[in-house]
Amino acid sequence: MAISETPVSTRRNLTPWFRSQLRNIAPFATLLFLVIFFSLSSPSFLTTANFFNILNQVSITAMIAVGLTFVILCAEIDLSVAAIANVTGIVVAWFTLQESYVNIANMPLSGSAAVVFALLACLGLGLINAAGVTLIGIPSFIMTLAMMQIADGISAMLVRGQIAYAVPPIISTLGSGQIFGISWIVIVAALMLLIAHLVLTYTRFGRYVYMVGGNREAAEFSGVNVKLVIGTVMVIGAVSSGIAGMLGVAYFGSAQQNEFTPYLLDAIAAVVVGGTSLFGGRGGIGNTIIGLFVLGVLNNGLDHVQIDPFFKILIRGLILLAALVINVYAQKMRESARD
Amino acid sequence: MMSAISDRPSDRDAPEQSDVPVLELAGVSKSFGGVHALRSVDFTLRTGQIHGLVGENGAGKSTLMKIIAGLHHEFEGVMRMDGKEARFRSSRDALNAGIAMVHQELSIVPDLSVAENVFLGNQPTRGGLIDWKRMLREARSHLNGLGIEVDPRARIGSLSIGLQQLIEIARVLFSGARIIILDEPTSALSPPEVERLFALLRKLREKGKSFIFISHFLDDILRISDEVTIFRNGRKIVTSPNAGIDKLWVIDRMIGQGHEELGETYTGEFELKSQRNAPIVLRATGLAWQKALRNVSLDVRAGEILGIYGSMGCGVVELTRALFGKIKPHGVLALEGKPLKLTTTASARRLGMALVPESRRSMLFHHEPLYKNVTISILERISYLWLKPRIERDITDQQIGSLHIRTSGVNALLGHLSGGNQQKVALAKWLTHAPKVLILSEPTRGMDVGAKEDVVKIVRSLRDQGMAIVVASTEPETILSLADRVLVMKKGEIVREFANEMVSKDRLLEVA
Repeated sequence: MAISETPVSTRRNLTPWFRSQLRNIAPFATLLFLVIFFSLSSPSFLTTANFFNILNQVSITAMIAVGLTFVILCAEIDLSVAAIANVTGIVVAWFTLQESYVNIANMPLSGSAAVVFALLACLGLGLINAAGVTLIGIPSFIMTLAMMQIADGISAMLVRGQIAYAVPPIISTLGSGQIFGISWIVIVAALMLLIAHLVLTYTRFGRYVYMVGGNREAAEFSGVNVKLVIGTVMVIGAVSSGIAGMLGVAYFGSAQQNEFTPYLLDAIAAVVVGGTSLFGGRGGIGNTIIGLFVLGVLNNGLDHVQIDPFFKILIRGLILLAALVINVYAQKMRESARD
Repeated sequence: MMSAISDRPSDRDAPEQSDVPVLELAGVSKSFGGVHALRSVDFTLRTGQIHGLVGENGAGKSTLMKIIAGLHHEFEGVMRMDGKEARFRSSRDALNAGIAMVHQELSIVPDLSVAENVFLGNQPTRGGLIDWKRMLREARSHLNGLGIEVDPRARIGSLSIGLQQLIEIARVLFSGARIIILDEPTSALSPPEVERLFALLRKLREKGKSFIFISHFLDDILRISDEVTIFRNGRKIVTSPNAGIDKLWVIDRMIGQGHEELGETYTGEFELKSQRNAPIVLRATGLAWQKALRNVSLDVRAGEILGIYGSMGCGVVELTRALFGKIKPHGVLALEGKPLKLTTTASARRLGMALVPESRRSMLFHHEPLYKNVTISILERISYLWLKPRIERDITDQQIGSLHIRTSGVNALLGHLSGGNQQKVALAKWLTHAPKVLILSEPTRGMDVGAKEDVVKIVRSLRDQGMAIVVASTEPETILSLADRVLVMKKGEIVREFANEMVSKDRLLEVA
């Protein structure tokens, strides 16, 4: 029955609005709560210096989260982002002349060549992800799980348990340098977020990303090249991770195995805590920014209060769980609004 | 037993049965956000009765059935079962009370055996494990008791639709149903299968089971029902014993005044005025895909509406997908004489093909504003990199005007539109830049009479502008109201072409 299935909602009270906006309100309320809580518990928290600290601390996560936002908006997932960041960072160091005490059989090239090869590495891995998901039809969850192992394997082969320190000067500047007292890495992360926002909001490709995520079948029946869109977001995920990896190596001052492992969870958490729907089609860079701040404030704030450092890990887990519950709940309310 | 001869229960009602109807609804109303789906409906179902229910799509039949089956639990009015007031919170609630619904799309699990399907959800167990022996034995005796001859170990997906349906009825009986709602039970059945179904229904009627039989096939309704209730626009028009009434009488009450043309599709002979000289726009030769399409060849000419009719599962749906690059069959396609390679739906769109699939949900974005729905298919033409929302809104505004889409504006969420208007949006997507071939699958399914006529008008005017149009449907009325030439499909093959001749619903049903 056509009429019965399409309620015409004309009522304008607060509840439906709240319901539809829960996805955006909840993360913001969480952030506000955390800021107030930590400001009251520690005098050192709410300071300008600490604000810039937080910005520095979330920058690498932010760059990875930029790509993941595209992927998750398409209702896909990429579990290989941290591993690809790691291998890209290692590749850029591998092509850079290291100190004599670093025992790695590497191939020093000019700085720009090293950067190009590193970018090609993450691009290539992203293309493999894209091919696996779209051409072969492997679910992205499994495909990127395999890619995580592959990228980690390449990292291991390249450094063989050693640690490299030198990176090309441009990477070193962007990763650990400052301009007018602001870290370059923060500026790069902010630029990436800005570009991603413009792409998602104002370009045709961005529209396709939302439509494919919102209703993949409808997108295909509308003549959208769904596989191309999904393949592209997988590549965007890998390349943003690669950039994060290169700058991250400079930020940490070393390139070694497993150095980015925690960033997988952090980046996924930032996107999801921010309110981008795990089912695709809803959310965006604005949400991701809020999510990044929630995570950044939490991680940083817990250092300012007297708390068992081991308990910190548990708290992060609980916050993520709460965000997942809200995420799924918000989706269900949206679904039920239609029936 | 005289059941095969006498279809009238009134003279056959067992005397021990009380006069209290097994199900009674009084003054039932239901609205959805201001749209009245049911207005103060009374309905009575007696024990051992087969009650036919007819009405156009959108007349209120489904809403009433959903109330009875516990799917809608908020409504005005009273529902009584065996004289006691009943109100179900869920379909499980209704099932526990003895009411079950058998939908057009059966709820069987194709990969399980017949026995497992019969016992679905309450398999007999021994020590925590499924007692297979007992399950097979009981399933066999239960099915045989109903006269259904089938191996309970057979995978149900391998059986015919007709048999699957009988098994589903057996299942709901087994779980204790006394009232069974059958939604379009004959639409996918061959004539012998219909006979077998009716034999089973008559047998169960003798045993005191009651049925509500919903169908668009008026002949079927008139053959099997004891009483017939007719719905129109959310109201019950009449309930009549099935005596001295005929198809015309029912149709008159079903569609009301002023829709004579639509009425003809139920009864009349149509003369197909097929274009023999217009240039061929699309030619398909020897399409084959899995088991669904076998050697399908067809031509679509400019300025004609080619109707493709067939019952459910005959391959019509796959054919529409093949013409839009969604599936890749063997065979050759040619558009305006040039070979047509469809690798993706995007390539099909670029080459001038357009498809409106049968399910609106698989075409539209319910949580996006109207304008994004309308422009998604033509975005490439209006923007290369940056979106141009103003142009998108203008285009949408024009479509709202020319297709008479009822909406609060271009920014309204699509989900807030009625079904008929959503269907117009699905059409509008393709009309801002006219495609060379427009393929419509079930273009008027689930619409009320007014919206249906609107869509028919729109499609005809596109035809008159010279577009090549394919209309695929499992409903003969849809084909008859639109087509200039008709192909009938059966089991993946085209079995008959009707062109420049008289055609009627009966003749279509005959060949399909």
